[in-house]
Amino acid sequence: MTDATVSTLVAGSGPEPDPEPANGSRSGKRKARTNAAKDPRREITWDRIWAQRVLLAMAVPLLLYQILFKYVPVYGWAIGFQDYKPGRGGIWEQEWVGLENFVDLFTGVNGERFARVVANTLGQSTLTLIVGTFGAIVLALLLNEVKNQPFKRVMQNITYMPHFLSWVIVASLASVALSLPSSGGFINQALMSLNLVDEPILFLTEPNYFWGIVAGTNLWKELGWNTILYLAAITAIDPTLYEAAEVDGAGRYRKMFSITLPGIMPTIVVLLIINSGWILSTNFELPYFLGNGLVSETAETIDVFVLRYGYELGNYSLAVVAGIFKTVVAIILVGSANLAAKRLNQETLV
Amino acid sequence: MRTARTKFSALVMAAVVSVGLAGCSPGDEEVPPEDVVIPEGELADQSGTLTPSNPTELSVWITAAAQAPAPDNKITKLIEEQLGVTLKYEIVTPDNVDQKIGVMLAGGEFPDLVGTSDLEMRLLEGGALLPLDDMLATGDYPNLATHVEEDIKRMSYSGTEVDPGLYIIPNYNRFYGEITGGTYYGPAFWIQKRVLEDAGYPDLENMTLERYFELIEEFKAKNPETNGAPTVGFELLASKGREWGMTNPPALLAGSPNNGGVIVDENDTAEIYADKDIAKDFYKVLNEQYDKGLVDPESFTLTFDQYTAKLATGTVLGMHDQGWNFGTATQSLQSAGMDEYTYVPLMPAYEGVEPWYADRDVMNSNQGFGVSTSSEQPEEALKFLDMMLSEPWQKVLSWGIEGEDYEVGADGVYSRTDEQRANARDTTWRASNRLEALLEMLPKHQGQFSDGNAYGPDDQPAEFLATLTDYDQAFIEKYGKETWRQFVNEPPENPKYYPAWNITLSDDANEINQQLTDANVQQLPKIIAGEPSEFEANWQTYVDAIDKVDVTVYEDAINDGIQDRLANW
Amino acid sequence: MSSTLVAKPLAQPTLRRRSRRRRWTAEGVIFTTLNTTFLLLLAAAMIYPLLNTLATSLNDGMDAVRGGIGIWPRVFSLKNYEVVLSMHTIYQAFFMSVLKTIVVVVTNLLFTSMLAYALSRNEFIFRRPITLIFVLTMYFDAGLIPNYLLIRDLGMLNSFQAYWVPVMISAFNLIILRTYMKSIPEEIIESARIDGAGEFRTWWLIVMPLCKPTLAVVGLFVAVGSWNSWLDTLLYNSGEQWLSTLQYELQKLLASSMNAGANSGGNAASAASVAQGGQVTTPISLRSAITVVAAVPILFVYPFLQKHFVSGLMIGSVKG
Repeated sequence: MTDATVSTLVAGSGPEPDPEPANGSRSGKRKARTNAAKDPRREITWDRIWAQRVLLAMAVPLLLYQILFKYVPVYGWAIGFQDYKPGRGGIWEQEWVGLENFVDLFTGVNGERFARVVANTLGQSTLTLIVGTFGAIVLALLLNEVKNQPFKRVMQNITYMPHFLSWVIVASLASVALSLPSSGGFINQALMSLNLVDEPILFLTEPNYFWGIVAGTNLWKELGWNTILYLAAITAIDPTLYEAAEVDGAGRYRKMFSITLPGIMPTIVVLLIINSGWILSTNFELPYFLGNGLVSETAETIDVFVLRYGYELGNYSLAVVAGIFKTVVAIILVGSANLAAKRLNQETLV
Repeated sequence: MRTARTKFSALVMAAVVSVGLAGCSPGDEEVPPEDVVIPEGELADQSGTLTPSNPTELSVWITAAAQAPAPDNKITKLIEEQLGVTLKYEIVTPDNVDQKIGVMLAGGEFPDLVGTSDLEMRLLEGGALLPLDDMLATGDYPNLATHVEEDIKRMSYSGTEVDPGLYIIPNYNRFYGEITGGTYYGPAFWIQKRVLEDAGYPDLENMTLERYFELIEEFKAKNPETNGAPTVGFELLASKGREWGMTNPPALLAGSPNNGGVIVDENDTAEIYADKDIAKDFYKVLNEQYDKGLVDPESFTLTFDQYTAKLATGTVLGMHDQGWNFGTATQSLQSAGMDEYTYVPLMPAYEGVEPWYADRDVMNSNQGFGVSTSSEQPEEALKFLDMMLSEPWQKVLSWGIEGEDYEVGADGVYSRTDEQRANARDTTWRASNRLEALLEMLPKHQGQFSDGNAYGPDDQPAEFLATLTDYDQAFIEKYGKETWRQFVNEPPENPKYYPAWNITLSDDANEINQQLTDANVQQLPKIIAGEPSEFEANWQTYVDAIDKVDVTVYEDAINDGIQDRLANW
Repeated sequence: MSSTLVAKPLAQPTLRRRSRRRRWTAEGVIFTTLNTTFLLLLAAAMIYPLLNTLATSLNDGMDAVRGGIGIWPRVFSLKNYEVVLSMHTIYQAFFMSVLKTIVVVVTNLLFTSMLAYALSRNEFIFRRPITLIFVLTMYFDAGLIPNYLLIRDLGMLNSFQAYWVPVMISAFNLIILRTYMKSIPEEIIESARIDGAGEFRTWWLIVMPLCKPTLAVVGLFVAVGSWNSWLDTLLYNSGEQWLSTLQYELQKLLASSMNAGANSGGNAASAASVAQGGQVTTPISLRSAITVVAAVPILFVYPFLQKHFVSGLMIGSVKG
């Protein structure tokens, strides 16, 4: 925002009214919403349904649509309880094996391995989520502080571009960056010229580095892209709040921490809740392309395991069983995160 | 709102329809058969099944990493002019084929011709393909009948899941006449020509692993740098999906041909060798060479691109690889005029062992075209395959058009001009002048045509010599040889069951195979890169890891496959 | 009404001058300097690999194989682009990708925002169950085969409908939009009611214009997702060439350039025929050109959306 112009609406003028529970103060608003469940206004009666017929008309057809396209096909999960062979024909012409596929995956040799790939998935994606969220918030705040509009726009455009490179390319770029200096490994080159290390490090042969490498690569690729939502959320913050704070003598940091950050908090919380459910659904490409035998103990994730022992071997049932497992975990995680947010009087999903 | 949406979908429909019309091909009207006019010449179908007067549209499904031909493709036009056949392609790349076949089988609808690679079992079990034996027996398809005559047992399905029979016509390695060609594409321990040149063109007979590494060590000591970059003694190919670069050598060193993860003894019994002494000896040598700094420490983390790049810089003195795998690197070196940095195949072997690196090309019994069960014109579809296999069409498909794409000498020998060779390398040109995706799946007249010319330019001896650079010509002469193939062993007759690596495995055996690969990929790098003093301990860990895998399931499956082949082929 | 989502008169923005003193404090100067430096370093780290990709795409293929290209081509060549752009299918596929992306964005924004509005209304009695039903869809996937059979049974195989009908609503975008709409001050909605606007008009004329920044973001997400998707083409529409999309065609081109790839054991015969044929471009250089061609059209979307990221839209209207 330039200091000269501020877009506003025709009707817009005058000072911001005192924050009131209905909209301004976040915590107050949330209190009101939490209590809404017991609100007599929410009781379902025919009168209310009739009164809300337009809202219902807006929602119900789309609800039916979603049920048709998302819920009906879930009968496909039957494959998880079958010894599925595409050759045998349709889903209902298969051999039923009960819970055998589940027992296979969760016990014995596979079970040990599955436990490890679950741990790796959790480790890689939790680290990625923390680093990524933190990085995106910081970058959004810093970009927001840039008053020179063209510079800000150029920065935004540059930082969001890596998102458009495919994972295959990103993995190969990362692999080169982490290699020996003679193979173009500029990270080693930099470390050596700064005298931080004497010998180049073979990053991709060291299991302890792998989660960090995954998180770092993800950060690089998605940082700018993840910032976009926060930048959009910042636009919703009332500029007069800043002015009022300035009048109070608030410095740049205080404005950042007591206005901007709380202003985007609902977005942060909602994104965290949503992402908590995706914690087992990492992209398989990065661990797949960057991983190798020496680091497989920390590199292999659920999706890589499913790719290698499911799809590549034509074992669709295993893939479905793993999918069901991920769904169950996801719903537990999202539910818990949502509940925690509610307890903390933060924005919630449902 | 409603009007908005209607208007919008109308707009979309209009756009869609206009595109759809543009995409349609004319000439689908039925013409009564009495009007059949058979064009003149050897490319026409004399049986009258496929004629321009009675056009046929065939839908063709092809698994290939290739593109559909350009609309103005000259061979497409020729096929339409001569046979009245238009092809509607659906090309799916190998990466995507699992998903596509999965849904196609679930849907139960298939194009007329189904060209598959490596997935024939699924298609068979799913009832997608017609058995062709009865149709071939009618005598209406002479070229195909001749093609399959000798090897029909190898080409046929002999299991119990569906009726035994011939379902697909294999696309590669059914040979006619002599097998020609001078380039070697098989496995070898490769070494840079400059290393041999520097060592004074040493005798390459009875090569051993020790001598191979000595050559490399001596050269590297003299030339620690190559064009400013550190020289790499030995690169171990271990990138994803190509782990065989690391795991196959023990069998080759022990004089066994490439049977994948097993060695098959003289009683036709297969056994894995990964945890045997022949493997231990090899990795012990590698471990020592690694300790000496001759093996690239980056071997285990290189992607295939990085591996190719290293070879292409000319810094790598040697590696174990299969010839076809590093063609890009070789071409890159050649185009930079760095011929002395390209590679010669060597065949080190253990004491007293006759090397068996080069084998006879094996028929691809699991790739090729089949006719689908949902095709409404199976006769036309099969006739099309038959016509394409005739010698005149094979020449069109592999050499091109006489006078345009190749020349015929006074002696009847085919050759190409430099310009014609350059064209053949140009992707854009090929899209308009060749039918690569189709040819990939079609059965081929490999070897020689009846007039003595090779099946394709790449196999024509005169063409091979013409494309050899001066350096290479001189190099080959130093060794008194004429082709690269002569640097490796004369392939003996293949065993009846050969090769064991393409035996179709049960799901359980496949899983065991995958577990073995995992053990290799995880443990072998630690053995190779470990301290020599810890070699025994590391090796033991590896053997223990393999012991945990139920290897007999895998070996039994391979042995069953061998016995099945011995009984049926 | 159908063509754009621009604000209607009620929400028409006007420019208003507001003087804001810029105070040059020491803290401010240090912060700005550090911030600018940091952002510049970050941008350099982000842009280097992109320039490297661009340079590789403009480099001779055989030379590129050797690696070590920085941000400038070593042996300049347009051959990679020539190969990509001479692919006869690419122009029609480009048109189809654009059409598909536009249709998906428009329908998705329309339906998702309409639903988001209903679900943002606190008094809507079925708000929670409906939200829950949509939220859950983010966390499961039925699998390829049942989805394919559904599309087939709806008669949408090999049709344009297969591109946009299945993706009319995205739960993630729904939540983003709803969260934003919930932060719209209640007074704005109330005052619209007092003016006699029904739910439909309130959504379309009041709420939508206020959501412009978020609509821009969601539109960007949807556009990028649709532009980059190729699985729908593969599974539903690969039988009709005219329905092919840019990403799908480029993917095939990429695969054919990497033809020499193979599995364990290796089928030497087919790979050999390619290795032998020789190539003018190489997988490495061609892949870079394909990346550029695939990404550049969609990269242009963001700068156009940026102008919607303007503060103060909503606050203005609350004071009405």
